[in-house]
Order: sequence, then C-alpha cells, then structure tokens
Amino acid sequence: MPNILDAVLAGGLFLAALAPIHAQKPPEAVDLSSFPAQSVDDVVVPVPSEVFIVLDKLGNPNWRSELRDSLGRQSGNRAQVALLLGTVIAEGFVAVEAEDSEKVKDIGRRVLTLSKAINVEKAVLERSKSITDKAEVKDWLAVRKEFDGALHDVKAAMQELGDDDLAQLVSVGGWIRGTEVLTSIIRKNYTVDSAELLHQPALVNFFSKKLANLSNKRLAEDDLVDRIRKLLASIAPLIGDGEGAAIPSENVARIHKMTRDTVAAITSKGA
Amino acid sequence: MKRLSTFLVALLVVLTAQAYVDDALSFAYEAASPYVKKGFTVREDAWGGDLGVKDQQAVQAQLFKGNEYWFCLGTDVKGAVLSVNVYDSKGNLINAETTRAGRLSAVRVEPQRTGTYYAIVTVHKSPVERTGWALVYAYK
Repeated sequence: MPNILDAVLAGGLFLAALAPIHAQKPPEAVDLSSFPAQSVDDVVVPVPSEVFIVLDKLGNPNWRSELRDSLGRQSGNRAQVALLLGTVIAEGFVAVEAEDSEKVKDIGRRVLTLSKAINVEKAVLERSKSITDKAEVKDWLAVRKEFDGALHDVKAAMQELGDDDLAQLVSVGGWIRGTEVLTSIIRKNYTVDSAELLHQPALVNFFSKKLANLSNKRLAEDDLVDRIRKLLASIAPLIGDGEGAAIPSENVARIHKMTRDTVAAITSKGA
Repeated sequence: MKRLSTFLVALLVVLTAQAYVDDALSFAYEAASPYVKKGFTVREDAWGGDLGVKDQQAVQAQLFKGNEYWFCLGTDVKGAVLSVNVYDSKGNLINAETTRAGRLSAVRVEPQRTGTYYAIVTVHKSPVERTGWALVYAYK
C-alpha cells in the first residue's frame, strides 16, 4: 500500500483540477441506524499528529518537555513488545513536533529493534533508514509520514503473519501514549476547545471490542492487556456524552494519570 | 483433488479482490495528490472493498475540530460513477466542497465538533456487477 502511495505521489500524477460536482446532490441528512452492521467498517485509528497539529493551532505547546528520557525496555513478552512498539512510534510523532532530530533518529532505530523482536523488521527496514535520513535534513513533514508508514507497515506485516491481535496492540499502545501527551498539554492550559479533542468514543469503543475479542488465548489473558481493557472502560465515561459536551479539567487530569501509569507499566515491564 | 481445486478457486477470488482494491487504491491516492501540494498529509491507512450498483458502505472516522480533511475515493472500474459524502454522528451532511473527475471523487470537510463521522460511499452506476473502491483521507 505505501508503495502505491509513493508511486502515485512521487510519479507526479497530479490532476490539473478536479471538476466540481453539480449533479447528484447528496441528501442533507441520512438515518445512520439504517446501515446494517456489516456496512459500517472499522474506524481508521488516527495517528497522534492529527490531534497534535490541532494543539499547535490552539497554542504553542512545549513539545520538548513532553518527550520521555527513556523509550522503555522490552521483555520476551510479545504483548508487551507490541504495546511498547506502539508507544515508541507515538513518541516519534512527539519528537517530530519537538523538531528533535537526534531523538527522532534514536526512535527510528528503536522501532527497528522492536520490530525485529516480533519478526517484522523487514517491513520497517527501509522506513527506519528513511526516518534517519529525513531527520538529518530536518524534513519534518516527511518524517511524520514515515512514522505513519512505519505504523502501517508493521501492522500489515503482522496481519500477513496472521497476527492481527498483535497489530491491534501496536495501535492501542500508540493511542495510549498519544493520549497521555494530549492530556498533559491540555491540563497545562485547559480550555473547553482543547479538551474536546478527547471526545473519541468510536475509538475507545473500537479498541475495547478488539481487546475483548482477541483470538490468541495467551494475549487475551496477558496482564497488560487486561489492564488496558480496564483503562478503556474507565476512560469511556470521561470523554463526553455527546458531540460538543464539555469535558471538565478533572476528567482530563484523571485520563492523564491513567494513561501515564499505563505507559509506565508498558515501558517498565522489561526492566 | 476436489479440495485442492476449491482452495485454488478461493485463492483466486481473494487475489482478484485484492488486485482490484489495489487498483482502486491507486486512484484514491491519485485523487488525494493535488491536496499534498496544499500541505495536506495523506494517511497510509485506507478503507476498501467492492459494492453492487446502488449499494452503500459507511466507514467511521474520528475527526478533530480544527483540522481540515479531504476524503478521496477511487475505483478501478472505468465508467463507474461513485460518490463519497461525509455525515456527522446525527446523520447530517457536513460536506464543504466536493469534486469528481472520472474514477476519482473527493470531499472536503471542516468538522465543527471533535467526534465520530461517517463517510458514505455510494455506487451510482457501473458497467460491472461489483465495483471495487478505495478511500483514503488527508488532513492538515
């Protein structure tokens, strides 16, 4: 999939202009409940930078202070490695925001090491090199794309190996670390608008369902996975009942503490 | 032997489906390419599948207020007419701008709220029974 993207974008297949649609005006409203369950696809998990760039627009966060000194240690536990890999890739997005090229390069190398531990290093070999090269020349937009690509490639490789459960854990790990950083920034300068970024019920529900239905028994019974199930159940009532409902600063602080503790559990498991 | 031929037929069906989703995906990325020049970042993750004429598929997306998005749809079928429209969680249309050219269509949205949105893909007409489609999105 990334090869197609690169080929199309780099190949200069740009359209001069797309014509505006005048025909077939869509309905102004639809009944979403009329869609059968099989007609509603799984949600695509946003990468941390999708929310980070909104924070940039709302203020001027100190991204450097959000970076962790240590990226954590891996154990022989595949669930822990997958979750850790997710947190490390999320850290990559923070390092891009901080424009810290040394940290980005360090993270790129770590992504490769962790991928090797779960047999998907081939999928990210090129990405890892590219992250280093692009960080060297401070092409931050390109580095951000490479981290998105690394996340995608790792998950695709795991799915190819029949390890869809592990791929989900990478996504969840990244989301938890991204949410830790998001809440850290929001609580330092709370506004209703910035707190609204936490209103992600579909994602929380999606992760909860995935973790409730892991087919791999060992992963399903893993302590860290169980902890994350409880984390998601605790977060769900704190992120707003409906679109636009204010999320109070107390909830932001609680989510921050929960995600920070969970990231600490993931990253220290191998210590 | 019968089991082997069943397996081969099943494999062929899977590979064929994968092939036309990949082709549709190329067109979806092509639809997104003008927006890269405008500072949008195209996500690597994508949705895709195949639909019959008049069929619809809704895909969920978590969108953030403050961002601008382009949802870009491609199909591998020449002569097929598809559209993508984005609705909020209450089912209200939020399209800000729509474009279409040949096998490509796109819709721009600027969500007024952070939350769950639905991109609805519709096959309006097609010369084939099942029409492959792929959808990507770009954000800035």
